[in-house]
Amino acid sequence: MKTNPTGISGIATLVILAASSWTLIAASIPSHASVLNFGVEQPLGRSNKNPAAPFLRFGPDGGLYAIWTEADDRSALQANPAHQHESTMKRAPSPMRVAVLSSSGDDGKSWSPPKQVNTSVEAVQGDENGPKVAFNADKKAFVAWSIPGEKGDITRANIRFATEDGKGGFTPARTLNEIKDTARFPIIESTPENTMLVAWIDRRVDNPIPRSLYLMRLKPTGEELTKSYKVGDGLCECCRLGISFADNGKTVYMVDRQVSEKQIRNHVLRKSTDGGSTFSAPVEIADDGWQVPTCPHSGPSIGRDARGYLHTAWFTLGRSPSEAGLYYAVSKDGGRTFGSKQLIHANTAAEILHVTMAAANNGTVYFAWDNLDESNKSQIFARTLATDGKTWSPVQQVSHAKANANRPALALSDHRLQVAWTETDGEQSRVVLRSAALGK
Amino acid sequence: MKSQFSNTMEIRWISSAALICALVCLALSSTVIWSQNVPQVGQKPAPTVGAAAIDFKLKSLDGKSVDLETFRGKPLVINFFASWCDPCREEMPLLNQLASGSNKDGYTILGIAVEDTRAAVTQYVEEAELVFPVALDLNSTVKRAYRIFGPPATFFIDSRGILRDIVIGPMTPERVREGLKKAGVAR
Repeated sequence: MKTNPTGISGIATLVILAASSWTLIAASIPSHASVLNFGVEQPLGRSNKNPAAPFLRFGPDGGLYAIWTEADDRSALQANPAHQHESTMKRAPSPMRVAVLSSSGDDGKSWSPPKQVNTSVEAVQGDENGPKVAFNADKKAFVAWSIPGEKGDITRANIRFATEDGKGGFTPARTLNEIKDTARFPIIESTPENTMLVAWIDRRVDNPIPRSLYLMRLKPTGEELTKSYKVGDGLCECCRLGISFADNGKTVYMVDRQVSEKQIRNHVLRKSTDGGSTFSAPVEIADDGWQVPTCPHSGPSIGRDARGYLHTAWFTLGRSPSEAGLYYAVSKDGGRTFGSKQLIHANTAAEILHVTMAAANNGTVYFAWDNLDESNKSQIFARTLATDGKTWSPVQQVSHAKANANRPALALSDHRLQVAWTETDGEQSRVVLRSAALGK
Repeated sequence: MKSQFSNTMEIRWISSAALICALVCLALSSTVIWSQNVPQVGQKPAPTVGAAAIDFKLKSLDGKSVDLETFRGKPLVINFFASWCDPCREEMPLLNQLASGSNKDGYTILGIAVEDTRAAVTQYVEEAELVFPVALDLNSTVKRAYRIFGPPATFFIDSRGILRDIVIGPMTPERVREGLKKAGVAR
């Protein structure tokens, strides 16, 4: 039988082409590519109040809670003189903002009317320094936020605190940092032993510049359990902190961006085995070698799964532009060492990116971050790392902002992932939420 | 026994099937690869010392239009800052001092506030008693065009609009003198 040589070689070529294409596909599609199916966008807050800086958390009642900031209706002339300089009270537009809290009992489909947290007129800060909420075992909300210092200086600020008053509102806010105008970037967490732990970056010693890490414990009632106390030094001055607990609160893990004498800003993990009273020497998560003279305002994120693995994510420019991006590393030995870092998403342009992550009990890790799209606008992206620690889902674009979307917040339940972020366009801003069901 | 015609038809059929399979696989693989690498940002050239400074159009705090042409004919110092930025605040007295002498020495200083709000910048300008004009880059378009990761960053432009020096990060008086000299300011 005669055969057509051209046909045979053509078939062979095509078969090889098909096989190699399939190899490419196989290499590109992880075995468990958990592509998330996000629902429709839902705006949170009052559109005429320029909502911004969302933070999400599931409460002990299973409800989804969101806190964010909105423009304050009240005149800046009512501002508390203890917190606002007189000369700042004349002008428009007002920088005064309130923190508002809302909850959803149906996975984010509908929300309660936003409840104002701070009763005094003050400039509640946002962005990297936005308000945070935590709940004690009695389902009471505890809120911490930052306001500018006495002279209106955002960088010499104060940590404010309020808790639900049991009558449908919040207690009058009080300032937690005993040394005035020295604290910002608060985080608040309920410990397994039903106390509240508040941590912040402190500049009471202004020289040398690297800041200190201060903690304070509050009783379940909101009263002070301890004065503020220092547990670490050498922190980058403006990068959000991360925290996680183990062993019923006896073990506390914290992550922060450090700054060396040579201005190298790597991330470290600090571990406490006495419930946060003292912390071990910092353990470097990765040697990124990013030498930068100013703070990038982009802090790390940490989560712990049921296996005890510590998952961390952060942003760095590394030692060269080709290294710039968002990275992930895991510690499988309780924070003594970290595995090699893995790239979550490379920088597409000169831009500081912000990443947050949530670890499910089974070890699946969910990430959300901002990065520039092809039209040079900042958008929110997400992807998932499977329990094997190496199988990544494709990168998904979650937002479609007209101008820019920044600083995502995540909340994870056993069946849904919730992502919220701020969109800005000129002088307008809004908070947007999307959620995705998780596969079993 | 099959005829040569049917053999040829079979080969053509297999070829077509393989071709379709290959194209589908290629399309799938390229989609997956593309999706893992999104976004691909098409950027304009970065600012280069010796080349024309990148033009922009912004609004000043008092609502006036501001672009490079506004300042043509005099050396221009552009300082990107933010009200929340520690090192920006630390170098502001130096910039204010420069601005005070700018009329005498024939140059202009322009502050461009990035990643900030009008309210916060307005308050900061008053608090820091800034004496030079400030424009708002609310959507980060100029910041991105100038490839600034974060403030502060300062660009020295000569009277013809040519970029002469760049300082990324905080400035020192020595660095300012050097930048001004390169931009053609005789002091």
